[in-house]
Amino acid sequence: MKAGTIAITGVGETPMVRASQQSLLEMTVDASMMAIADAGLKPQDIDGFVVNRNSHSADELGFALGIDKRPFSAITDTVGGTGPTASALTLALLAIEAGLARHVLVPYGFQATRPGGPYGFHSREPLKADLEMPVGYFGQPSYFAAMANRYAHEYGLSEEELASVSITFRKWAELTPAAQKRDPMDLEGYRKSPMISTPFRVADCCLMTDAGAAYVVSRADEARDMAQPRVLVDGLGLGTTRWPHSMMFTQAPSIFDFPGRESAKPAFEMAGVIAADLDCAQIYDGFSISALVQAEQLGLCGEGEGGKFFHAGHAAPGGKMPVNTSGGHMSGGYLPGITLLIEGVRQLRHQRDAAQVPDATLCAVTGLGGNSHATTILRRG
Amino acid sequence: MGIPVHAPKFESDLLKPFYEGLAEGELRLTADTETGEWVWYPPEMVSGRPHATLEWKKASAEGTVYTYTTVIRSLLPGDHKAEVPFTVVLVEPDDAPGCRVPGLFVADEGVAAVCDMRVRLHPVQAGDHVIAGFAPIS
Repeated sequence: MKAGTIAITGVGETPMVRASQQSLLEMTVDASMMAIADAGLKPQDIDGFVVNRNSHSADELGFALGIDKRPFSAITDTVGGTGPTASALTLALLAIEAGLARHVLVPYGFQATRPGGPYGFHSREPLKADLEMPVGYFGQPSYFAAMANRYAHEYGLSEEELASVSITFRKWAELTPAAQKRDPMDLEGYRKSPMISTPFRVADCCLMTDAGAAYVVSRADEARDMAQPRVLVDGLGLGTTRWPHSMMFTQAPSIFDFPGRESAKPAFEMAGVIAADLDCAQIYDGFSISALVQAEQLGLCGEGEGGKFFHAGHAAPGGKMPVNTSGGHMSGGYLPGITLLIEGVRQLRHQRDAAQVPDATLCAVTGLGGNSHATTILRRG
Repeated sequence: MGIPVHAPKFESDLLKPFYEGLAEGELRLTADTETGEWVWYPPEMVSGRPHATLEWKKASAEGTVYTYTTVIRSLLPGDHKAEVPFTVVLVEPDDAPGCRVPGLFVADEGVAAVCDMRVRLHPVQAGDHVIAGFAPIS
């Protein structure tokens, strides 16, 4: 894969809301139409689809969008934030490089408020149902809270440092009209947030969101003359571990050591840049601890220094390395991974008004889902 | 501290020996029948050795807390408000390092779980079933 072969030419998303009256299909189709229009294209210009295994199929979306000819369709087999932030781009790049498609649509929809909620799939794991749920170990907030306690044991992590992650993303959300949670939050406000599973408060967790989002990937040379400033995909990396979902939260040698370094290395190498070259980063923030660890793994700070990095204000507005400039998933809205990628694109187009990082030309986007982790490097050019 | 009451589902018999062991005051984990190495949790297939078989063996009742969390708002299906707070620990038995057993932390008021704390198996009655519990070794 070569840097600068493809560009993200259109982006769109429906409002991030707690409980949408729209169906998942309606939200996904609306977002797709927005992304296609943003690229200056018509639905019939789309000749490739990369969907996620948890979303609607290309068959269903193609029908809804009125697209007859669809020579390339693929499904990403990584979940959560990893699918739309690198796996989909890898497939789109391969399809475009091979001449199978010119404009690939990557749609994604999510309904956190659907029956069963975001925890439902855990209860269907027999090992969790028989070993973990009987002792009350259940749900992502508890799994990631246990990670935070182990991290704190190994590296040290004060309450103020942990809180600074949520507070940082809230500051960015305040500058983002479309963010789901915009009320200002300082340390006192953080401490008022209800505790769920120590040390995690509600403020340490991503939001519950219903929404659809989509983006269009086009050949880089075609993108030069399209509707928006060109944002190239310069680096892509995917890291995985062998641990299945049923075991990764308890049995992995380190329960917080996501394969983030494994995804960052090939992405930076492909792009020919290093972390210090970045102007900003969008980091998958399912929880404060996972954002903090990924910031280390991406190379924004040293191992074990994530708490200090956020607490020092480096990731906040005006900081030396802005992170999650739309509020991320913890304050902006939780549409796993894809909205972070879209924010990266908008930063590099210089369309972010009050939240704009001055002269942003290089942005990293990370995704975390199950036992996989993605890093994407975007460049304005 | 409360006690969560959420019975195991037992959609298969796979984990029943774990609970039979607890009822007899023993911690039993799975090991590779051929090599004797611990394989925990018991997966449907052993990683990299899909035809390996497992057997249940008695593990040390004493171990070390790998990590913990105190649940203030239970996310278990159903209403568990009356059962919170409770503390969950992941414990590595002394003779099965790296194998982590989820359990309820059982301690006097004011004694908090911490990483690397030494604990001993202390099964707990939760409704009509027994769950894994671990108490600090004083």
